[in-house]
Amino acid sequence: MSKSNYSVIGKRVGNVDGVEKVTGGAKYTVDMVLPNMLHGKILRSPHPHARILNIDTRRAEQLPGVKIVLTAKDTLGRKNGIWRNFRDLCDEEILCREKVRYVGDAVAALAATDLETAEKALDLIDVEYELLPAAFDPLDALHDGMPHIHEDFERNMNVYRQIEWGDVEEAFSQCDHIREDTFYCSSQAHGCLEPHCALASFSHDGKLTVWTSTQSAYYTQLLLSDMTGLREGDIKVIKPHVGGGFGSKLSLDSAQYCAALLSMKLTRPVKIVLTRAEEFGATKRRTAIHYKVKLGAMKDGTLVARKVQAITEGGAYTAMGGTALYLTGFFSSFPYKFDHYQYDGFRVYTNNETASACRGFGAPQANFVSESQIDMMAEDLGIDPIELRIKNAITPNHEIPGQATIRSCELRQCLEAIDKWIKERGPLPPNHGIGVSAYGFMSGGIFNWIDTPYAFSSALVKINVDGKVDLFIGANEIGQGSNTTLSMICAEELGVRLEDITLHTGDTSVCPVDLGAWGSRQTLMSGNAVKMAALEAKKQLLEVAFHTLKPNVVYDLDIKDRRVHLAERPRRGISYFDVVKDAIRGKEGQAIIGRGHYTPHGKGMISPAYSFGVQAVEVKVDRQTGKVELKKIVTAHECGQVINPIGLEGQVEGASVMAAGWALTEELKSRNGKILNGDFRDYKMLLAEDVPEMILIEVDSYEPEGPYGAKEAGEGLTVPGAGAIANAVYNAVGVRITQMPLSAEKILQALEEKKRTQKEVDPFEAVA
Amino acid sequence: MYLKCPVCKKEWNASLKVARHIFGNGDKAHRAWVNSQGVSFTDLLIRQATGSGNQGFMVLAKIVESSQDGTSGVAG
Repeated sequence: MSKSNYSVIGKRVGNVDGVEKVTGGAKYTVDMVLPNMLHGKILRSPHPHARILNIDTRRAEQLPGVKIVLTAKDTLGRKNGIWRNFRDLCDEEILCREKVRYVGDAVAALAATDLETAEKALDLIDVEYELLPAAFDPLDALHDGMPHIHEDFERNMNVYRQIEWGDVEEAFSQCDHIREDTFYCSSQAHGCLEPHCALASFSHDGKLTVWTSTQSAYYTQLLLSDMTGLREGDIKVIKPHVGGGFGSKLSLDSAQYCAALLSMKLTRPVKIVLTRAEEFGATKRRTAIHYKVKLGAMKDGTLVARKVQAITEGGAYTAMGGTALYLTGFFSSFPYKFDHYQYDGFRVYTNNETASACRGFGAPQANFVSESQIDMMAEDLGIDPIELRIKNAITPNHEIPGQATIRSCELRQCLEAIDKWIKERGPLPPNHGIGVSAYGFMSGGIFNWIDTPYAFSSALVKINVDGKVDLFIGANEIGQGSNTTLSMICAEELGVRLEDITLHTGDTSVCPVDLGAWGSRQTLMSGNAVKMAALEAKKQLLEVAFHTLKPNVVYDLDIKDRRVHLAERPRRGISYFDVVKDAIRGKEGQAIIGRGHYTPHGKGMISPAYSFGVQAVEVKVDRQTGKVELKKIVTAHECGQVINPIGLEGQVEGASVMAAGWALTEELKSRNGKILNGDFRDYKMLLAEDVPEMILIEVDSYEPEGPYGAKEAGEGLTVPGAGAIANAVYNAVGVRITQMPLSAEKILQALEEKKRTQKEVDPFEAVA
Repeated sequence: MYLKCPVCKKEWNASLKVARHIFGNGDKAHRAWVNSQGVSFTDLLIRQATGSGNQGFMVLAKIVESSQDGTSGVAG
């Protein structure tokens, strides 16, 4: 169907829950209160590595208002982890039994009648520790003689992953030019406005209900079942509005588990909201990675081979870190055609907060490294960096051996659009520079670490007698706009208006299973499930309409804007509402129901589809301070059919700002494993005044696997920012920063070093 | 010339590739075989991670070559 024929898709639509949010009516978990509710708090380790010798809870229990104090001995002793097929990687007890592995590890949880009493009681729990030597740097942690953080993992080697195609060693021997570089990508806090929180209520009939801020209500249900021993069906997880996730709210967290446990012991509702300090120090964070990269090319700019070695700083537990380890390897080849590629990734346990999923899932780190090095290679070869990128860019139907098949890809058009913008921009003022970065990202992951037997996404459509449509989805709106996107897909497929759709979501007891909001999966995967469910319901209406309209058999029927008509002769038709009534009467009064599901099959190892784009960032560097000022961010992007342009723009802008913050100012500083800047005053996220003009160039594309040709548009734009900024800084003042973040101090130091080395070469002597 | 993985008998055209396969697989059987050769699977992996070149994998590649028990070059 051509784009102009869509009634709903592609229209600029405000979020279906937008009014509720901007008027303050939307309820988040942090807002929720239940009668008879208690307040929970978690006691956390002040030590990075220590054996727990004794926990004495008596003084806390005696404090008036305290109802219960729990430790590991009150649990089933099971270990939490999302890689359920690999039990040794399920390594987090949540309430520690024998030892703590980072500053922030949970050792006890309590519930009291009010928050003040609960906080006071924490100070009355006496924990006797035997301090153990700790390892904070992954390169140190691998050394013989360093402390074992997990007994079963010799020398703290947590996970090893490799990817390989072609023959890199043979290929390097044929190259005209080879570069070998090292890089370091720093960590990042997720910075959700709503902290991790949960309100759990266990009833006398043995049922547990948990309201929580989560990216996957289903994962929370499943993992709570694992940890508490309750059957999945006895656990109802309700996800109210969510104030941000960015990868941090994907797996079971301490607030969810401890609130559930406390409520189960007391049969009273218990609410736990993590403090901002806990949010920074006792959740998860982006993975910091050390890279060694070798790149080989021919004189004409043809990229031949790349070899990447990554050592990731894993922190105390595995969490989703193994996936980030794999994906950073996969995306280190992106978005170029390499005939020869080799990746070795090593994840190392340390006594730091666990590194796990964070928006981009290993790809932003890979891209910073890859795109910095591409510019370095282009300079070595004397080739324009965009020309080099165009020469090697992935094209449609490209096969990545053993990993992926790229179907739709308009990367070349994106590169050309950015090239045109740069040329039109013309000469830049002094100390200004433009850097570019090309990227690609997945549209949902083909990963079933959690080992679910259910479809990855499911949806149910019920058409009622008044023509209103109930759409039941397990997909998780976390601020990214999926409720709107999926409602639009449903309305388009059924031929009704957006206001005809009533969405039911965020409750595992009534919504079909969906794996949730991660890996940019919901538009494509949940969208396909919704489209299928709507189509199944629509077919039932068309059967009835066919009997009423009695068209020639050569004609097809369709529904558009609440009218059922002959597809080829739109003027001949009848009211959608009349057809609905007839259909329900014809089915002995049953509502019209359609079911849909989606699970990728035969789509490679990573994702069923990939979006692509190029970002150009213009910066101004202050040579006196090293401070980088963002002047413009221009993105040429292709994401298949755009479902909601407003939603797309919001995602692109938000992701670009998050990437720029990671590149420039956000740095988790720690000493002996303790985060030193765990608040929004000292942890420097970009502010509105730091955000420059943003220009979005939408390049047309169509993804055959996606609903209406749509694919990823939410997470991918966190990928190119850091590389583009690093290249822009180099083009502005000639210093190449390979160790993130690109802080003012680091740039100033590099400028001074550059000045010093230039002075050392006496120009007159050089001439002589 | 093909060389076999001593554990699962898959074949490659170079001992280094067999070594990569063994580390990449990393299951109990492959680990046990490496450890039974008088070297440590983890030590070699860490040597690969922290050393230059292919130090860790080359050690195993040599062991793989010597383990072929006269069958290298004829398999496949």
